[in-house]
Amino acid sequence: MILNTVVYSTVTVMDLISVLFTLLFAIIIAKLITTNLRRTLKEKLSKEHLGILEKIINYSIIIFAFLSVLPVLGINTSGFLVAGGIIGIIIGFASQSIVGNMISGIFLMIERPVKIGNQVTIGDTSGFVEDINIMSTIIRTFDGLYVRIPNEKVFTNDITNLVVNVARRFEYVVGITYAGDADKAIGIIKKIIEEEPLALKNPEPAVFVDNLGDNAVNIIVRIWAPSTHWYGVKRKLLWIIKHTLEENGLEIAFPQSTVWFANEMKMRVND
Amino acid sequence: MFGFYEIPLNIEKNGISISVEGEGGSLVYRRESPEGSVKKNILAKGGKLLINPVEPLIKPEELTPYFLVEFSKSVMIEPKAESKIYIKFPVEIGVFIAGERHYDILDCVTLMKQKLTLYGDASNGLICKYWLSDVYNSIPQAEPFHEGVIELNIINTTSRWIELTKAVFNAYGMKIYYGTDRVSMRANLRILGENFAEIDFIDAPIKSGMEKSLEHYTVRRMSVLTTKFVMEMGL
Repeated sequence: MILNTVVYSTVTVMDLISVLFTLLFAIIIAKLITTNLRRTLKEKLSKEHLGILEKIINYSIIIFAFLSVLPVLGINTSGFLVAGGIIGIIIGFASQSIVGNMISGIFLMIERPVKIGNQVTIGDTSGFVEDINIMSTIIRTFDGLYVRIPNEKVFTNDITNLVVNVARRFEYVVGITYAGDADKAIGIIKKIIEEEPLALKNPEPAVFVDNLGDNAVNIIVRIWAPSTHWYGVKRKLLWIIKHTLEENGLEIAFPQSTVWFANEMKMRVND
Repeated sequence: MFGFYEIPLNIEKNGISISVEGEGGSLVYRRESPEGSVKKNILAKGGKLLINPVEPLIKPEELTPYFLVEFSKSVMIEPKAESKIYIKFPVEIGVFIAGERHYDILDCVTLMKQKLTLYGDASNGLICKYWLSDVYNSIPQAEPFHEGVIELNIINTTSRWIELTKAVFNAYGMKIYYGTDRVSMRANLRILGENFAEIDFIDAPIKSGMEKSLEHYTVRRMSVLTTKFVMEMGL
């Protein structure tokens, strides 16, 4: 029969056909997996990143299938295994950080703790996320510097996303003198907050005497503002609070010391 | 003050003065109001200005399309019932420039206080423009340059008594009408569960003879998915 005809060595026509079918099957499986992956991750990953992930999975399946059919074609893969193992170890050591960054990048794209445009703090770096690549994340710091952080570092560091929630709270400590009327100061501060459009009505701002300090009665002021505008509100209100309190006769306290002398001080006045 | 004006113009009412006058070959738009003054150059030979009430969401800046009205006293509505209430909203006055049948907003002014609030929690909630209103059983008096009236038709589809403390509106669906004595909107608030309601606007005036406003979001020709708002973080 033609199927049992030897083509070369011990490889028959049947072997060639089974190899072809296996490879074809692997291609179909790879296509099915990547199509499903595209549907599942379409919303979660950008087109560019999804394309890279699809290619990695597609080629991995095909290469695996190709290596598995080599013995059928009479090619001994044990030599490949030894050589591949050694090359693998060398490449593994050399590309440890590259693979680490790539895998971290994939997880970052799936988990999405940060998005492009977010204001974030990653480790010691704070700024706007400019881009998230497969290998690294690009940050534009608040003072305009370009910082490239490898994804492995991003993934293992603490990430603080400053704008993922729609509102955030900030706080001042306003110290007034012991001679000042804290109730009056609280009333004035509450009125200032009420008049500021971007200071949220709800969650309600909190203004209260927190502690009686060494030099001042410390009033805590807690205000909620939209995450996108909180810093502007924070900068604006503190100065208004300071001015308004002073206009109303309330002094902002600063450290003072009263020195008592055991003996009466003598003063000599020169003509 | 509301209506069409031919350029040049100079109008002053309720502490707001608006003018467009020729200056050195071009037109200069000036607006003065208690909140400040604005001056803009207009590169056009002529045209018209349209001044009318717009969605109360442009001031202090366009941060959100959601508008929350808190009721000064909560409203209890009986099961399977329908009832009308009236609440007020702050009027924002839009100044549109018209030319070749195209409109664009030139300026927006308000005489009312502005405030924002959070509907829901900080992680899943929405930033909304805030207004505190009394609840009325009949159309209340409201000075059209300051406050407008929303007729809210509440439909309780549940079999329980429901307490309503607020209403949240989506600016994309607002249909504003104005007359000489009032500015109005009409909306349906359909209570679908204890903590769940749907609000959508009705494109009709509160009284006959009122003019339809040109809304800011209509002029921007934005494609929006929905004009309704679903209150699912508390009534």
